Amino acid sequence: MISRVADHCFWVGRYLDRAESTARLLQVTRALAFDAEMPTQAVWRPVVTVSGQYPDFRERFGDKSTGMGDSVQRYMTWAPENAVSIRSSIWGARESARSIREVLSLDIWQATNELYLWFVSEEAQKQYVLDRDEIYRQIRRQTQLSLGLVRSTMLHDTPMDILWLGVLLERIGQTARILDMHHYLLEDGADNHQPAGDEAGKHQIVQTALWLSLLRTCSGFEAFVRVHKGRVTGLDAVEFLLFEERFPRSLRYCVRSAVGLMRRIWPAELAAIGGAPLARLAALDAWLGERKHDLLASSIHDLLTHVVDEVALVCSEARHSMSGATSAPEPAADGPTQTQQ
Amino acid sequence: MVSELDGSALLKGYAALPGAYDELVDAAGAPRPHARVATEMLEGLTPEAFQRCQSLAELSLVQQGVTFSVYSDQRGTEKVMPVCLVPRVMGAGEWARVERGLVQRLTALELFLDDVYGAQRTMREGVVPGEMVHKSKSFVPRLRGVRPAGGVRIHIAGVDLIRDPAGTLRVLEDNLRTPSGVSYVLENRQVTKRVFQHAMESGGVRRVDDYPSQLAEALRSVSPVDPDESTVVVLTPGPFNSAYFEHSFLARSMGLELVEASDLVVDGDDVFVRTTMGPRRVHVIYRRTDDAYIDPEFFRPDSLLGVPGLMRSWAKGRVALANAPGNGVADDKAIYPFVPDLIRFFLKEDPILEQVPTFVCARRDDRMYVVEHLGELVVKAVDEAGGYGMLMGPQSTAAEREKFRELVLAEPRKYIAQHRVELSTCPTWVPEHRRLEPRRVDLRPFVLASRSSGGPNRWVLPGGLTRVALREGSYVVNSSQGGGSKDTWVQFSQPGLSVAS
Repeated sequence: MISRVADHCFWVGRYLDRAESTARLLQVTRALAFDAEMPTQAVWRPVVTVSGQYPDFRERFGDKSTGMGDSVQRYMTWAPENAVSIRSSIWGARESARSIREVLSLDIWQATNELYLWFVSEEAQKQYVLDRDEIYRQIRRQTQLSLGLVRSTMLHDTPMDILWLGVLLERIGQTARILDMHHYLLEDGADNHQPAGDEAGKHQIVQTALWLSLLRTCSGFEAFVRVHKGRVTGLDAVEFLLFEERFPRSLRYCVRSAVGLMRRIWPAELAAIGGAPLARLAALDAWLGERKHDLLASSIHDLLTHVVDEVALVCSEARHSMSGATSAPEPAADGPTQTQQ
Repeated sequence: MVSELDGSALLKGYAALPGAYDELVDAAGAPRPHARVATEMLEGLTPEAFQRCQSLAELSLVQQGVTFSVYSDQRGTEKVMPVCLVPRVMGAGEWARVERGLVQRLTALELFLDDVYGAQRTMREGVVPGEMVHKSKSFVPRLRGVRPAGGVRIHIAGVDLIRDPAGTLRVLEDNLRTPSGVSYVLENRQVTKRVFQHAMESGGVRRVDDYPSQLAEALRSVSPVDPDESTVVVLTPGPFNSAYFEHSFLARSMGLELVEASDLVVDGDDVFVRTTMGPRRVHVIYRRTDDAYIDPEFFRPDSLLGVPGLMRSWAKGRVALANAPGNGVADDKAIYPFVPDLIRFFLKEDPILEQVPTFVCARRDDRMYVVEHLGELVVKAVDEAGGYGMLMGPQSTAAEREKFRELVLAEPRKYIAQHRVELSTCPTWVPEHRRLEPRRVDLRPFVLASRSSGGPNRWVLPGGLTRVALREGSYVVNSSQGGGSKDTWVQFSQPGLSVAS
């Protein structure tokens, strides 16, 4: 498979999944803002923080709580200058797909192109004002359609494996960041010694609303409730999203599947090319397996930080491997390879 | 069955343009016999129904992203090449003649290229004036003596034909470098089939959808190694190129890899493509990049574009390039007037296809005529394309004519002149008037060549790209300047025997 094409496949996967998680995160946070009786900033600022865009956001919009919900949504949905806004992700997915149309199926290209055309249409702008929930739902539906078509219409071969590797690595990063969003609540020891009386009741409401929203953000609510028979605690929710091997968006599941894909893309005889990222990801998988038994509220932030850092390294090493080179990688820019122009 | 225009629907009131030949109806307004397959279909439709079909077709093109781009900002100003669903129809007998004529013409042009980059008999024996070749910007003297792998130079040709008021088809231009437009032929057919399912099923229209497999075969045939063991790739300048859709479309429909220059690397004398599993050798490159951007070492030392060393590999026969570098000398407007003589010289036959009578300003008598009749002529600079460096005499101002008079006299070799041909028309949907009106059309058939023992073997795609000038009174069919396209139907010689697909 041609290296540049592989790189674009990788980014189609990453951008589509990123658009979807961002839409999900915004949709769920809107619900949270209604349910949790929390200060606006506490609800919305983490959304920008986990995306790594807080400094840029503060520069553009300030840090006042008034109107913050709206600015965050606008910034994370539409802003072309925000590299991780939904707009940038959809644009990126479509541009990468456009460069490799002969590798994707026509269905995938059409679905992705339609998503883009719809998203930049006046109709979508109107809908954003009139029925915002629906616009996020639509983005999720459409990205899921594209990703579903990847599995159901593409040849199950290296290009699809690489695209899906992009999806999984992006998802690991997103899930880890989303979990990190409210980790401080766990460290407060909220589950162990809560304030008494009314305060306690209120705190509990906020807590529960947060964990529920976290689970919903990762589409894990139903699965979690089934496994835990309806009882929601912070540590259980985090543990579920970290380690549940049967849940397809948990970190463990995604890391495992990504290791499997890499073994297919770079089998043992190609270890000189793809060995480095594979070894790193396999080590992360083993490391996560060990953490399962000694998970403490206080260590969650460190764990998540380690996951995010390692996955970033895996991504850049994997992209180097895709170039087919056997030498040590040079630092790569965060975005698909540009066409000579 | 309605056999005449009895006013039931769409063609009612359609009036052909005086002084021009109409492709579907005769001077009296009756359908031409071979065009009935189309006119009967149109008569079954009301303007409302037709408009619905037209909208459906346009939507389907947008959704598939059949666009050419003029952009690259996030607003993504991409345009669909407008398509008019009324087809242009060619009769079986006429088409057979066109096919023979095209094969004859390209055979002669191929021999001419072999000669220009070989023995140069045509120049020595005065068939073509030497300066017409030597001064052509597209002539690459350093390639003299190179025999391309597979022995073919014009793998893919697009020949522009126009029809004069008497109904005679004439060659306007040869495109022997990187002719484009075939993807529209295939996409238009897809759309027509979807929208006019019934007419296509019963119509006896020749199929076009085997073009990709014919092209893939032709490309494999010129490989320097066993065709079945060959790696063939399509080389594109990238997504910013206006014809990128076509490059991707062709690669996809042939099942070949689409590569950019940066994907290729020359090691020793062989070309390799970078893959996720390391470098892999490439044997045939269908390149959609201009000569100037093939190999910076060879053509443009200042350029960063291209694949360094590619020309060396080609010259050694280690890789085939389609089309061959240096072909431009044969489709130069300066050579065009001599093509009929080239056909006679190489093939000892008279040309089957007419071309447009042309004044060669390098000839004294022609030059004198041209400068005295600038107001009636179309003057073209030989090294320019796409309407640049052109004088449209009938629409020109005195100042423009004076400027061209000086230009022609200063550098006669650079100019040719022709009388403007009244292009034929075809009924075309005009949405603002909700009816069919005559609009001018041309035709670009595509011709493929594959290796064979007795010289290249040629195959002609039935029909080709019909381009239409959508603006009333316009002669400009280019998509960048308000042109659109139409499906081209070539009638079967035995109607009803086979089904188009």
